[in-house]
Amino acid sequence: MMPAGAQSVRAGPAPFLYPVRRHGVRALGSLRRVAARLAAEPVGAAAAAAVLAYVAGAVLAPVLAPDNPSATDLGARLAAPSAAHWFGTDLLGRDIFSRTLYGARVSLLVGALTVGLSALIGTALGMAGAYYRGAVDLVGARAVELLQAFPYLIFAVAMMAFLGPGFWNLIWALALKGWIEFYRLARGETLTQSHREYVEAARAMGYPSSWILVSEILPNILNTVTVVALLRLGYFMVLEASLSFLGVGIPPSIPAWGSMINDGRNVLFVAWWVSTIPGLALLVLVLAVNLLGDRVREILDPHASRR
Amino acid sequence: MKKRTDVVLAAVLIAASLLLGTRTDGARALSFVLDTTANRATEAQAITAQLGRAGITAQVRVWQLSALIAQVQAGQRTAYTTDWGSAYFDPYDLAVPKFVTKARGNFSFYSNPIVDRDMAVASSTPNDAQRKAAYADAQRRIYQDAPWAFGYVLRNIEAQASTVSGWVPAADNSETMYPAGVRGGDTVVVGLRNDSIAPLDPGIPPTDREAVLRNIYDALVGHTPDGKVVPQLATSWRKVGPAVYDFTLRSGVRFQNGDPLTADDVVFTFERVLTPGGISGVSSTRKDLLGPILRVQKLDPSHVRFVYSASFPEALVLQSLVHFQIVPQKYVQQAGEQGFIAKPVGAGPFRYVRGALNSEVVLERYDGYWAGPAKLRQVVFRMMPDPSSRIAALLSGEVQVIQEVPPDLVDRLRASPNVEVKTAEGTRSYEIEFNTKAAPFDDPRVRQAVNYAINWDPILRDIYHGYATRLSTAFLPNGFGYDPTLKPYPYDPAKARALLQDAGY
Amino acid sequence: MRSLRIAHRVILAVPVALGVAVLAFFSLHLLPGDPVQIMLGDTDASAATIRAVQHELHLDRPLHVQLALFFAQLARGDLGTSIVQRRPVAALIGDALPATIELTAAALVIAIVIAVPMGLAGALRPRSWFDRAVLSTSLLGASMPAFWFGLLLILFVAVDARLLPTSGQIDPTIAVPRVTGFVLIDGVLARNAAAVGSALRHLVLPALTLGVVVAAVLARTVRASMIEVLQRRYVTTARAKGLPETAVVVKHALRNALIPALTVIGLQIGELLGGNMIVETVFAWPGLGRLVVNSIFARDYLVVQAAVMLYAVTYVAANLAVDVAYTMLDPQVEAT
Repeated sequence: MMPAGAQSVRAGPAPFLYPVRRHGVRALGSLRRVAARLAAEPVGAAAAAAVLAYVAGAVLAPVLAPDNPSATDLGARLAAPSAAHWFGTDLLGRDIFSRTLYGARVSLLVGALTVGLSALIGTALGMAGAYYRGAVDLVGARAVELLQAFPYLIFAVAMMAFLGPGFWNLIWALALKGWIEFYRLARGETLTQSHREYVEAARAMGYPSSWILVSEILPNILNTVTVVALLRLGYFMVLEASLSFLGVGIPPSIPAWGSMINDGRNVLFVAWWVSTIPGLALLVLVLAVNLLGDRVREILDPHASRR
Repeated sequence: MKKRTDVVLAAVLIAASLLLGTRTDGARALSFVLDTTANRATEAQAITAQLGRAGITAQVRVWQLSALIAQVQAGQRTAYTTDWGSAYFDPYDLAVPKFVTKARGNFSFYSNPIVDRDMAVASSTPNDAQRKAAYADAQRRIYQDAPWAFGYVLRNIEAQASTVSGWVPAADNSETMYPAGVRGGDTVVVGLRNDSIAPLDPGIPPTDREAVLRNIYDALVGHTPDGKVVPQLATSWRKVGPAVYDFTLRSGVRFQNGDPLTADDVVFTFERVLTPGGISGVSSTRKDLLGPILRVQKLDPSHVRFVYSASFPEALVLQSLVHFQIVPQKYVQQAGEQGFIAKPVGAGPFRYVRGALNSEVVLERYDGYWAGPAKLRQVVFRMMPDPSSRIAALLSGEVQVIQEVPPDLVDRLRASPNVEVKTAEGTRSYEIEFNTKAAPFDDPRVRQAVNYAINWDPILRDIYHGYATRLSTAFLPNGFGYDPTLKPYPYDPAKARALLQDAGY
Repeated sequence: MRSLRIAHRVILAVPVALGVAVLAFFSLHLLPGDPVQIMLGDTDASAATIRAVQHELHLDRPLHVQLALFFAQLARGDLGTSIVQRRPVAALIGDALPATIELTAAALVIAIVIAVPMGLAGALRPRSWFDRAVLSTSLLGASMPAFWFGLLLILFVAVDARLLPTSGQIDPTIAVPRVTGFVLIDGVLARNAAAVGSALRHLVLPALTLGVVVAAVLARTVRASMIEVLQRRYVTTARAKGLPETAVVVKHALRNALIPALTVIGLQIGELLGGNMIVETVFAWPGLGRLVVNSIFARDYLVVQAAVMLYAVTYVAANLAVDVAYTMLDPQVEAT
């Protein structure tokens, strides 16, 4: 048996965080099992609770936020954290606590939409490439090679300069490269699966290939795709914040943690809270998402859990 | 797997609430996007908040500067923050390129034939009183037409260690280190705000590198920090005709490589700029800064003549020559463009030793400088784009002079006994420009309304801590022809609403 | 067989690099903004002058002609001249690359020093509290937004405590003769202790910022593969033969466990070279990442194209090196 990671080396680079096993995840795990297992261990439960809390905070931001996140008060600029403003105020006197709450929306939404879009595109193309082979596969493989060798950040900065600032533009800029990982994953998995007996049997029975792909193969690779999607979520959140930090991300009318961190950069010296607090919010969310992804992977992958 | 459906569900919920949160009612209210760049995003958001109170909906979008300017020039933006600097202390390189029909800086597509005529008069008439009158008329018309929401001029806030003497910040951000000294040493490190500077060849376009350039090179004439023209390599000049000026060169001047400076070097410097493809096959984009020039010719080894195609006022001739540093002909021709950029040689007070344009440039005193050697043995310019880093470096003694202190940090610096904050009047107009050729800002009433609807006072007081002065148009108080009787648009939301109603909003 | 595969991969790197250059070419030329206009800033210039300069720099030609010119130049081994900096692109990259390599190497050293002991310690006592701590800490590191972490380091270490400099690569008043371009190495060559000290002090914060994320990934990999290796038959055999546990771990397990770690390191080199532009920006580090970001903003096309090609080649080479090292360290890989 090869050590972890070996598989991905042969095919190219490993996912950003850590190598994900391609084998071992077969049946679609039931949510109940995952939830029960998560609840049973303190770390997993805490991570899940934290993510849920962020989602709740994001959804309920209009109710929870003490202030309008875009209400400016120039007289109260750069106020330190206090009873009136728990997290202080920013360069325009806006309440950072409220903005941090609303900022969770951007992070969660951009993360989820980017991962969703990437997974959708990548899985579809990867499965098609692996199953039909031929020209489709060849074109896909070449495109992947090129994009992969193209540094992500340069790609995103250029894309954003081209598309202009905007919420959806950002998501497209991220997803246009993000799909690669899912493509490679889905392609590899589909190749493995398509030689299994159940696929051979379906083929022998004369089912159309599109039906085989969607009804037979897809359910069998969905677990792996889901785990990778969870593990990539945090990465995209950080990337979104990095782009906002470089000034090519979310428009400032929407509170976003990356641009909040950037706002505070020039006043780090006199108002540490402006940059520090949204950064902390981001760190905790990404950590919770990564922990959750890690636990879910262990639960779904019996080999991983032994380790 | 339900975890996934949960995520999807949450995403949909968040998306829905986000959309609902930003929806506005559909009445015909004035609504536009205010495009800006990162450095003015804060101000832009304060402005849109104010406009909101006057019933105008404006959304801020932040762009990367070059992308925004390209879109603006293509006429694809309606309102955007921008700025334009003046190096001449004269509207000739600020109001003229910004307001004359189809001029390079006229991003608002503003066009008023009378303003064009005024500017043409002011750029050619030798008579100062006539120039002033023409500029005064132009100011009133521009004010009335309101192609911009007129803004402000920022003071340059810079700081030094208290050990440094003889240094003052200049209006145009050039750092003149010649008179400077430092107690207990002979080296001063200057923290520049630039991320990197353009090559130190005075013939190629500037991107904010005057700070370094003017310490290596001298021009025929120079500026005092507040913009007055003083002799440098030319000791005197004479107007021979309305379009002909003769300059007498300082005798005994030597370049830092020992070559004597003669009329040939002066002629070469300008020919390099004026000849198409003059710098390694590429034309200099600086030639238009010289006005309607025809040629520069040598009269004798110590006299040169500037011949213009049309009458050009003496004040503009001198202001323009400040920006053309004299380069050594023999050296440039021998070293070639690459060699010259790698090791620049001029006739200024400091000679280039080493450096990299994106990290630091090290200069050392040139003992043969015509006005006597500088006090400092070494001047180092360090690229420090991050303001917090500049300030930390000044406080910890890593650097002795820093450019551009953000107004929010001035108090922090003032609290330290070892540093001094110094300011100079700026030369840059900051404003919001409108695309005057497209709805809704093709209607002057709408443009005036926005001018009335912005309350600049709290913005300048709180965000810029009072280090900014309101402008009535784009004429600067320290520039020629400024009309102090023309008062900036007052904050008058009622008037703004009336104008908007008049325009159909 | 192995050398054939390597040769195949090396040859494959060429079309990838060229393809990436084409991709960079088109994505850059589609961006709004013209280098000449950007360069001019608010200097007044006539439309005729601007057109003339654009013509001289070939910027007015159709895109396919510009691309052909680029490839013609490339065929002669010339990367062209930077529009903004007026210097050969190769020289610009040559100046910036050592700084980036120095930073990347330092980040890797920091990562290895942190990660390998952590991962090993965790693996020796799987599921213990210490192991849990290792896993959680490494996840924390992997979740860290680098730009924010860098800012915090600047704020607390450089600004407040004034322990280390905020930015730059070396105290600019120290002159080091340029031999290799690597400031640290040049300092050592010149036997200039002050230069080496200053360079090291400037290196700490940016390298730490970059290194923490790599350390996180690395620690997890080391731990996982060590656990797996310790369960293999030859380790069990070694144990059964009564060898002391230290010998088992060091002699038999460690070597094999480090193979996946090597993979991660190799792949991270590619990531780091392409991804440290944010850290270089935060710390005003005069490296390739900042050069590329500034060149994108200035639309200095040729610099970006060349840099992106370099990234692509590095990426392919890193993958290849990992593959080769793999087959050499672990003969089983070749067999399977």
